[in-house]
Amino acid sequence: MATLTIIQAINAALDEEMARDARVMVMGEDVGKRGGVFLATEGLQQKYGPDRVMDSPLSEAAIIGAAVGMAAHGMRPVAEIQFADYVFPGFDQLVSQAAKLRYRSGGQFTAPMVVRMPTGGGVKGGHHHSQSPEAHFAHTGGLKTIVVSTPYDTKGLLKSAIRDDDPVVFMEPKRLYRAVKEEVPSEEYLIPIGKAAIRREGNNLTLISYGGSMVETQKAAEELAGVGISAEVIDLRTVMPWDKETVLASVAKTGRALVISEAPRMASIASEVAATIAEELLDQLEAPPLRVTGFDTPYPYAQDKLYMPTVTRILNAAKRVLDY
Amino acid sequence: MIKDSWMFKPFSEKPIALLDEQGNWVADFPMELPPDFLRGLYRDMLAARLLDEKFVILIRTGKTSFIAPHAGHEAAQAGIAQALQRGHDWLFPYYRDMGLMVAMGMPFREIFGQMLGNAADPAKGRQMPSHPGSRALNIFTVCSAIASHIPPAAGAAISMKLKGTGQVSVCTFGDGATSEGDWYAGINFAAVQGAPAVFVCLNNHYAISVNLSHQTSAHTIADKAHAFGIPGYHVDGMDVLASYFVMREVIERARAGHGTVLVELEVYRYGPHSSADDDSRYRPKEEVDAAKKRDPIERFRRFLEKQGLWNLEWEEMLRADLKAQIDRALEEAEAMGEVPALAMFDDVFAEPTWNLKEQRELVAEEIG
Repeated sequence: MATLTIIQAINAALDEEMARDARVMVMGEDVGKRGGVFLATEGLQQKYGPDRVMDSPLSEAAIIGAAVGMAAHGMRPVAEIQFADYVFPGFDQLVSQAAKLRYRSGGQFTAPMVVRMPTGGGVKGGHHHSQSPEAHFAHTGGLKTIVVSTPYDTKGLLKSAIRDDDPVVFMEPKRLYRAVKEEVPSEEYLIPIGKAAIRREGNNLTLISYGGSMVETQKAAEELAGVGISAEVIDLRTVMPWDKETVLASVAKTGRALVISEAPRMASIASEVAATIAEELLDQLEAPPLRVTGFDTPYPYAQDKLYMPTVTRILNAAKRVLDY
Repeated sequence: MIKDSWMFKPFSEKPIALLDEQGNWVADFPMELPPDFLRGLYRDMLAARLLDEKFVILIRTGKTSFIAPHAGHEAAQAGIAQALQRGHDWLFPYYRDMGLMVAMGMPFREIFGQMLGNAADPAKGRQMPSHPGSRALNIFTVCSAIASHIPPAAGAAISMKLKGTGQVSVCTFGDGATSEGDWYAGINFAAVQGAPAVFVCLNNHYAISVNLSHQTSAHTIADKAHAFGIPGYHVDGMDVLASYFVMREVIERARAGHGTVLVELEVYRYGPHSSADDDSRYRPKEEVDAAKKRDPIERFRRFLEKQGLWNLEWEEMLRADLKAQIDRALEEAEAMGEVPALAMFDDVFAEPTWNLKEQRELVAEEIG
């Protein structure tokens, strides 16, 4: 057992999987000598050599596309995109190649690969270092998408992603990289993809969130508890396939739901979850499910903190749902 | 046989040709290929041409929805297929490569299955016609998105190098692909890693209607290799022996650890871009007719005849045999019937996720 940050948990997961399986390799910009700009791959090149921890050219299309070819040829590449905001030159490789290879070949070829990327705001990075593009991936059949929020989950889910037989987009809220520390077992454990975590049990309403916004969501639940309102808090962890069973069971119990995410609202994961709750639980709801999300602007620099769902905004929405 | 030194020089002003228009061997080294191999090249080319003709009938009779004619590309296709180690090396083809599939040894029945999108298609009718692939033959399933297969071809080559498999990754594309960002991104990565990858442009001078003069200001496609620090070979792709000999040399060169190569095979597309195109809108008939006078099959026939390896009787026998094989394969493919409707929900992931299961259920109810 060790106390790890998310960044250390990533490093530990990569280290363990590379030691376990010679097919696993790491590739991306600055991942080798530099150990990654956030140091997620620190020390791995010294341990596993420059072939298995490969510094790539500055090209997201090359990184993701080469990972597809490596995976099809039998490797288990873990590609790092330096910021989620820079995935777009490689987006076609994710959408046209990685996501569709199994399908378009009728199962003859597969792309078991992971594309890791720091995501989300809160670091004063402006719109090209702060976006949350998970809905783009979830909207593409053939990709699984994970957004973590704790060191424990990070290690267990990254290991599962590496072992998965399909392409997985693994998103890491950069504002949490060193903000949270917790005990993480040194021994082997896996967390299944597609399984949410109930962070707090409650009966009056359900707060559903994931990634960076878990911080404000938990704070809001704490404040609600202070005024005698018991909120159940669900961390989706995987946004595609998201854990419908856990979410619906909770909302059926509480009758009220808020879905919270810092990603823009339009056509978002939050919208998908809210729509599903409305479709399937209408007669058990005490109020319409509400979304508390980022805005449909490009991510602003100066209003960095205001863009993301604040505790106040979550509490205001909770009040609307409770008073409905 | 060529072994000790590299025969061909990169970046030649004129395309490398070993046969003249009359089918005379004009190279300064002995040809030394066995008769059966030469006849096999001719068979591959003729089979590709007959298949192309059959495809026109498929589209006219409404049996398929799309064809990408490859007539004019046959010499390049046969040369590429015979130069690589089929079943060992990997091929990353593009959508005008059905003739190449024949030479790679893909059964006609599978080819027609793909063209019909029915149960005879190993890919279960997932893609539009002219998008083949085969795990058994190491042929990476074609993706429509132009040049999107270049980085995967590079990645496979890097994997081959890391694992020391002795394989080569051969990747084909048209001239339009060389304008895409992914083309540069992929070749650059392979070149930096010294990976055993051979990138082959079948340059027919048209990306649908856009002439090469509007595609690039580079003097040749092969010249673009300078940017990657790799050799680029400029070859007459309507000369099957030039295509074969150059491809064999560069593939063996890559296999021997000398890194990534770019090859430009100059060809001409006789037909329109596709069954949805009208090429009379952008190129004069005289130009097409002039290209047909340089026909790769005709040129090689003259060569074989001079070698005493061709006569009319053999030609007629070969044609009749290929036509019979093609007709029989089409019948067999048609007899396989439709792909089950619910198969459209398979192969998204190794295991279907809940949303796919729900959607499958919805369609199951709808169709009863």
